[in-house]
Amino acid sequence: MRAFLKKEWMELCRTGRLLILLLVFALFGIMSPALAKLTPWLMETLSDSLADTGLVTTAVTVDAMTSWAQFYKNIPVGIIIFILISSGSFTTEYQKGTWIPVVTKGLSRRTIVLAKALMIFAVWTALYLLCFGITYGYNAYFWDNGIAEHLFFAAVLTWLFGVWVIAFLVFFSVISRSGTQVLLGVGGVAVGVYLLSLFPKLSTFLPVKLIDGMSLLQGGNYPVDYYVSIAAAGLMIFLCMILAVVFFDKKRL
Amino acid sequence: MDMLTLSHIAKCFGEKQVLRDVSFSVPEHTVFGFVGKNGAGKTTAMKLILGLLAGDGGEIFVNGIPVHYGNTATNRFVGYLPDVPEFYPYMTPAEYLRFCGEISGMPAKEIKARCEELLCLVGLEKENGRIKGFSRGMKQRLGVAQALFGRPKLLICDEPTSALDPEGRKELLDILVDAKEETTVLFSTHILSDVEHICDEIAFLHDGRIVLQGSLEEVRTIKRAAATELELERSEDAQMIASFFPCLKPISRNSLLLEDAECLPDILRFLADKRIPILRIERREASLEELFMEVVRT
Repeated sequence: MRAFLKKEWMELCRTGRLLILLLVFALFGIMSPALAKLTPWLMETLSDSLADTGLVTTAVTVDAMTSWAQFYKNIPVGIIIFILISSGSFTTEYQKGTWIPVVTKGLSRRTIVLAKALMIFAVWTALYLLCFGITYGYNAYFWDNGIAEHLFFAAVLTWLFGVWVIAFLVFFSVISRSGTQVLLGVGGVAVGVYLLSLFPKLSTFLPVKLIDGMSLLQGGNYPVDYYVSIAAAGLMIFLCMILAVVFFDKKRL
Repeated sequence: MDMLTLSHIAKCFGEKQVLRDVSFSVPEHTVFGFVGKNGAGKTTAMKLILGLLAGDGGEIFVNGIPVHYGNTATNRFVGYLPDVPEFYPYMTPAEYLRFCGEISGMPAKEIKARCEELLCLVGLEKENGRIKGFSRGMKQRLGVAQALFGRPKLLICDEPTSALDPEGRKELLDILVDAKEETTVLFSTHILSDVEHICDEIAFLHDGRIVLQGSLEEVRTIKRAAATELELERSEDAQMIASFFPCLKPISRNSLLLEDAECLPDILRFLADKRIPILRIERREASLEELFMEVVRT
């Protein structure tokens, strides 16, 4: 397991994937407070031209909440980029045949699939922490994070949503043969679940609710409202991993 | 003891029956040549032995233990060199070998020593660049090193010499012969001179079946008795003798081929009586090529 994790780490570093992801997530972390900070200035510079068209701008007040709102808008884009970059993690190995020497040395297939999944989860966690940490730090410096309710609970929910998407990424990586199929699978599940969540009765049970962190911050929702979707996500993650292991045992490499 | 046994192996891909009924055994410490045309099913058979494909019938034993598809425990006895080996392009050869040692649970000290030893053996000790820039021949060498790394009891090589230049080929064959001391080698090929150089035993795979099998000498004697070639100085003499002895077949202007050794004394007596000048009389062994062509034709 350790040897394979080491190899995965080397792959991330040397192929430049980690660098790209670090830049993207750091940028998103900086962007949220930066945009919030720039909003009054932007409005001011635009006010003259807006006044010409008849729109009157008033003084805008920004606080940590503006920045957090931006953060929760950015994170889904971050997840999409993360999935795009990680979609070839398994399939390039099938296509190139690089797993043949590994498997024929007697390394168990379970170790391979679990090590890969673990590395993707770990990288996601680290990147998310980085992004959240940067935003948190700037927000605390410029404003006051105290106005946001359940700040950390909401952050964990979004992290869990990422884990849920990644579990599907791992599952589809095991059953597909190309990166495109993986993306179609993960995209299909995400869109499907999103469409289902448009029905108010269903939305409580679906993991899509987990990215609605803003309602928690603003006090519209309470942690208890999320318990069902946390359980649903947990169950799906567990099932995805079990199925991934089972199918990978029988996969033709 | 047999290191590898295949009994009544069958495999089809959809409608196409690739292996019908393949059975053979490879005794310990032999170099076993697995010969067949392109597409005869050699790679398929090897993948079945490695548990990379699920068979449709029959049983395979490696070191006395049955092979299962998927999680193949018997692979810990095996070293495998694929026909086109692919490695992680972002690693250097030494890093890749270290990775191989680590996944097979070797102690760190042994890994280091084995890395140096094998890189020297395959002539990659000075290559510090990443595998990305390697030629096919270099990858083949690294492939040999990784296959031998864990001191396997059975070394399986899929057409190991086909990508190499003559020098590399000779070196590789030498490595395989040396490996015989420690391991058992099964290698597939369609280059028959390689088989003649290094194999103790061979099996010909054709049309999904083993059509011929045994030690090199056995195989030669099974199929055809040796013929005798007779070359004379003058072509008129050749024609004249051929008309006397119908068992002689002309093969060029002044040489004749005798397949039936019984008439040889009579012919020699005739040559001596007539004082016919001779250039050469040679006993010709049936080459593996001829055998192979004969087997494939039937």
